[in-house]
Amino acid sequence: MNLKLHPRAGERLADQLFHAGVEFPCGGESACGGCRIRVIEGDVPITEMMRVALTEEELAQGWRLACCANAAGAVTVEVDQWSVHVLTDEAAVPIEPREGFGAAIDLGTTTLVAQLVDLETGEVLGVETALNAQARFGADVMSRIQYELKQPGEPRAVIRRQLGEMLRRLAGGRALEEILIAGNTAMHHLFCGLSVEPLAAVPFLSPSLGEARFEAAELGWPGPAVFLACLGGFVGSDLLAGIVATRIDRHRHPHGLFDIGTNGEIVVGSREGIRCASTAAGPAFEGGRIGMGMRAGDGAIDSVHVNDGGFVCHVLGGAAPRGICGSGLVDAAAAALELSLVMPNGRLAQGAKTLPLSGSVALAQSDIRELQLAKGAMAAGLKMLGGEVRHLSLAGAFGNYIRQASARAIGLLPDDVVVEPVGNAALRGARMLLLAPHRREARLKGILALCSHVELAAEAEFQDIYAESMALRRYSLR
Amino acid sequence: MPELQKLYDAVLNGDQKTAVAVTQEALAAGVSPMELITNYMVPAMDKVGSLFECEEYFVPELLLSARAMKGSLELLRPLLAASGAEPAGRVVIGTVKGDLHDIGKNLVASMLEGAGFEVTDLGADVPAEKFIAAIEEKKANVVALSALLTVTMPAMRTTIEALKQAGVREKVKVMVGGAPVTQQFAEEIGADGYSDNASAAVGLARKLVA
Repeated sequence: MNLKLHPRAGERLADQLFHAGVEFPCGGESACGGCRIRVIEGDVPITEMMRVALTEEELAQGWRLACCANAAGAVTVEVDQWSVHVLTDEAAVPIEPREGFGAAIDLGTTTLVAQLVDLETGEVLGVETALNAQARFGADVMSRIQYELKQPGEPRAVIRRQLGEMLRRLAGGRALEEILIAGNTAMHHLFCGLSVEPLAAVPFLSPSLGEARFEAAELGWPGPAVFLACLGGFVGSDLLAGIVATRIDRHRHPHGLFDIGTNGEIVVGSREGIRCASTAAGPAFEGGRIGMGMRAGDGAIDSVHVNDGGFVCHVLGGAAPRGICGSGLVDAAAAALELSLVMPNGRLAQGAKTLPLSGSVALAQSDIRELQLAKGAMAAGLKMLGGEVRHLSLAGAFGNYIRQASARAIGLLPDDVVVEPVGNAALRGARMLLLAPHRREARLKGILALCSHVELAAEAEFQDIYAESMALRRYSLR
Repeated sequence: MPELQKLYDAVLNGDQKTAVAVTQEALAAGVSPMELITNYMVPAMDKVGSLFECEEYFVPELLLSARAMKGSLELLRPLLAASGAEPAGRVVIGTVKGDLHDIGKNLVASMLEGAGFEVTDLGADVPAEKFIAAIEEKKANVVALSALLTVTMPAMRTTIEALKQAGVREKVKVMVGGAPVTQQFAEEIGADGYSDNASAAVGLARKLVA
């Protein structure tokens, strides 16, 4: 998140930043580097203290310390504490070498990642991450769609401009051979300038789910771009790329891919066939609609253990707890179950109204209910799609940070399946496709032919399975 | 004489098997359907509603209680129809066009049924014409519209417009609900009432038909 500040007489920039809410974890001693800011516009001179806490490379990229910052003119800075940790991916992948440079982009509803890739060696030469600037039009895909219906074209202009800037910084004047973009169906339509009306109502079938190609000049980007094809109504090319990265289309035995988020996505299949679905889990896993919920930033309880009959909470940034993030919420529910402070039906024991965790942070009964709705939707989707699954890959940031033991204890993840976090599978899949220009077409065609989309809410048994899956209880698929 | 209190407990605890068994016994022993509904089932669903509102019960418990009640009602409905007993009101309910989500709508329908209303559930993704046809056919005095998605909320407005066009708006009270719906939105689109949960929807419907 960016912050624009104008110098005021007699006040240091550091004071202005502090008043704007930037925290100095070590008390402004310039010792910890925890108050990093990056200068986007204007000039913040480097001090001796900054040279100690930051590397030459970081300083060159514009990073400074807020606690000893000063400026003569207006500045715009990015505050590291406020940014979401964006998951990138640099795993080695197979490659068909060709000359030049390319880019892979994960266009998420919340976050953006762009990688510059050497097409000869497959090496990732640079990464740019950012929060999707469309966020000002709404946090979730539905509110973005609604905004587009009211102000057609504005979300498209914003995202094309933002990604173009990230690509130009990465390319540094070089021309790019090809840019591959993966993203969900709403992001696909908003980027490509397609009508979002079909995405706004049942049966959520858009006539334009296919791959879209753009010339460099059309976008004003350093190279031509391809937005990969969507799999269905709310299952986009992020999942298509995820299938490539986890090789579901090559497996002999059913393999699952689980992307836990506000719009949860589930893919289950093998080389015999693949079924995919999306489920409206709600924002609980991202701290949304939870009384003291917050993103995984400084002051968030991100894990909870049981010790000596009580809670032991870990707080990000080491400061006093201010709230709780998704992984902390799952942990807290599991720990409370273990201590019998919460019953499997989600009710706080002995008629309690709140569950105090640490300091002033507590969970309310309604917070547990939100968690039940969110985890029930994910588990119900998996049960309906994945009876035969033995191996489950967890994609996305939340899947990377969640503690599996807790997720199993509350019945989010099944007991009888091997679960493995795979990080940013969409980005890795996009890079794999970028590095396989000849095999790409056949592979994608093969996957699209294997995939079928399931509308969970339209299935008669969904309501019962969903209700049963709301219980905070372990479950097995077989 | 069967122990009728067991019917109350079975609905409260979501025990469909017992609810059905006690209903059968009671009918065999000559207890009137109206007595079962008024003295046992309606109070049990009222209690379920208040437990939901004080957060003791949640969606799964509500669904189980609704299922128990429905099992019993299915035995009583033909007898009620034959006796010509008047329901608390006649409700036509559905999730509006474009929206497939029906769990919340089903809960409201069950709670209303439990409160003695005659409920016609049109399901999900219901076009305005179907609401209009059902209002006339069932002689409904309440229409309940549900939407879970922000993008399908406008369909509530168009449904109400269609009711006006068809000349049936004056015959019915319109109540709306669903996660993104607010009191303010309800007023904007000219609905007669809004409720933010299934239990409060019963009180609202009672008020609208009073």
